[in-house]
Amino acid sequence: MNGDARGWRMALVPDLLINPPPALRTALPDVLGVLEASGYGVLQLPRSGEHRLLLAVIADQIAEYSHHGYAVLAVGVSGEPGDGLHWRRLAPLLKHRGVAPPPRHIVRPEADTALETDRLTARLASHDLPVEEQRRWRG
Amino acid sequence: MEQSTTRKVALVANCLLNQNAKVCEGARYRGMVNPVVEALRSRGYLMVQLPCPELAFAGARRWWAVYEQYDTPAYRAHCRRLAQAIAPLIEGYLRRGDEVILIGLDGSPSSGVRFTSSQPHWGGRPNRPEDDWEIVPRRGVWIEELEAELAQRGLPPVPATGWALDMGRFDEAGSRRDLEGFLDSRDAGVP
Repeated sequence: MNGDARGWRMALVPDLLINPPPALRTALPDVLGVLEASGYGVLQLPRSGEHRLLLAVIADQIAEYSHHGYAVLAVGVSGEPGDGLHWRRLAPLLKHRGVAPPPRHIVRPEADTALETDRLTARLASHDLPVEEQRRWRG
Repeated sequence: MEQSTTRKVALVANCLLNQNAKVCEGARYRGMVNPVVEALRSRGYLMVQLPCPELAFAGARRWWAVYEQYDTPAYRAHCRRLAQAIAPLIEGYLRRGDEVILIGLDGSPSSGVRFTSSQPHWGGRPNRPEDDWEIVPRRGVWIEELEAELAQRGLPPVPATGWALDMGRFDEAGSRRDLEGFLDSRDAGVP
């Protein structure tokens, strides 16, 4: 695509990691900063609760990306219900759309923040579609 | 106590956090639009990403389009469904008394706030010469429907501006000054 800068990679991210509450801020890596530096786009998931229609809308978007050469990674956070990823509801919505749930990387607030930052950075760097798939879709 | 504190919340157009949502050849950043993210984070805004109406409707490999091509009953119904999906979150912030703003995408046929793209004659084979659309002062279709949904819920209008990514020629420094001016004027007016 002429002059197009997209990185073809994105992360499904819980609201808690995008807008961490003050009490958790120092315990968590700066996930948004790491994603930005790694060239990832973000698909934001809402806080826990009943979000039936919104999750269906998000599943539509994940399916569209997954069918067209984009790499999607879910970045959850331990200690939250379903790691903050709404997995129990989202997984069947994705299956219904013919898409396997994206691979997951779980951030651990109880672990050393610098190490967690490095672990996330490494996972983001190594995550992508197989080279043949990249060539097929990305030119 | 966080619960008693008024928070600053920015509703952001989907592609400001994910440039992969852009129409082919429209992405200016790899992932997030970092000047927008930085401007909001440094001022203490929480971010709420709006759904991308075009991606879910016309797909990741859609053609470019102008306002008139998306101004259809089916697309508006689709936008209303998305608005109904995200409105409960927005309503929660507004009912709680949080300060909510909207950052759209000026020039976009869907997410434009101050400006959208217009060309009533576009249609058929997509072989138009470059830049023959016009920028007109009007909301995009998605923002119109989102605001209508919020109004229907009895919610006050949300102060809004747009990041000028889809205006033909993109001026990042100018867009940054424009956005920061909007945010700082909000801060000046909020006790």
